[in-house]
Amino acid sequence: MSSHNHNDSIQHLYEGDQSKLYSGLMAHHTDINSPESKKQVGRIWKVFWILLVVTIVEVMLGMYSYELGISRAIINSVFLILTLFKASYIVAVFMHLGDELKNFMITVLMPLVLFIWFIIAFLADGGFWLHMNTTSPVR
Amino acid sequence: MSHAATAETKTWGGGRSPFNVSYGKIMMWFFLLSDAFTFSAFLISYGTKRFFSAVWPDANHVFHAFPFLEGHNLPLLFVSLMTFILIMSSVTMVLAVHCGHHNDRNGVIKWLTWTIVGGICFLSCQAWEWTHLGHLTGGLWGTFTDSGTSPHMYEHFYDVKSAAYTAASHETILQSTHSFFNYFFTITGFHGGHVASGVVFLIMVLINTVNGTYDKRGHYEMVEKIGLYWHFVDLVWVFVFTCFYLL
Repeated sequence: MSSHNHNDSIQHLYEGDQSKLYSGLMAHHTDINSPESKKQVGRIWKVFWILLVVTIVEVMLGMYSYELGISRAIINSVFLILTLFKASYIVAVFMHLGDELKNFMITVLMPLVLFIWFIIAFLADGGFWLHMNTTSPVR
Repeated sequence: MSHAATAETKTWGGGRSPFNVSYGKIMMWFFLLSDAFTFSAFLISYGTKRFFSAVWPDANHVFHAFPFLEGHNLPLLFVSLMTFILIMSSVTMVLAVHCGHHNDRNGVIKWLTWTIVGGICFLSCQAWEWTHLGHLTGGLWGTFTDSGTSPHMYEHFYDVKSAAYTAASHETILQSTHSFFNYFFTITGFHGGHVASGVVFLIMVLINTVNGTYDKRGHYEMVEKIGLYWHFVDLVWVFVFTCFYLL
């Protein structure tokens, strides 16, 4: 029988050779019920509770910030800090970027530095346009 | 001749994997990076338009309805439920990835199924929210373009007692309302499209898992890759949630 009739021989065309790499950082050879595995599951649930509590705090602040009379600027900075806090947990633990090699983390995160310019430049431009075109007091 | 010997030991000279990550996973990360720029372009453009505007719809007034509780004022409650569903589906996804690391097929099947259920619940919630906004409050993509629109059509989206609202002209408010709904439906629609295609991918991966494709392959890397995509979708929602409902 020719090798063309073997289904398994097709497998390596997709990912088979990649499995050599897959034996690296992320692959575990322990049992799902092992203490290491249980520890990781515990870590996942811990992150879930962090995300949940932070979201509840955000919603509460969103609903009651007017009544509490806190300034919009302070509330908005709190929202942005909490959002980045949640995002970093999702990327580091759920997406396992925290478990990759440092060089890979840098490669993925470095392009995001562009956002610092992107956000400042565009929002400043929007604010300037409003300033130049408004005759009534701004917000 | 010494040239060949040095080439072999170079980290970036080929024949080895300096990041210790497979091609497919690196490309998934790079795709997500490009997608992050697309979403950010949308969100930053939304922010720019908002900074352009003297007045802007108030989230507590736009989003205050809940299914089967019509007439009650429940600001942000429904969107909190949507956020909870998506966080929950992220947890079930990461548990599926975890089971995949340990080649536990039944675990992968169980958690992937829950993730699909979570994704479908989220999409249903979004369908309800869109329908509600469109039919009951009049806010849809491309609405509020007619300058003859009566203030009764938009005043329920605003904090009417605020100084910014009382000072703003009819045209300014109309334009802000128009922009708000265009951005809202474009961005949540683009995100919802990602969730919908994610559900399709998850179903495909689930079928492969049930068929034992990954056991034959010897690893569950495909679950990890779709996991990256799914967590990215959750990540985007974290930012969409902040930009539209909180700020």
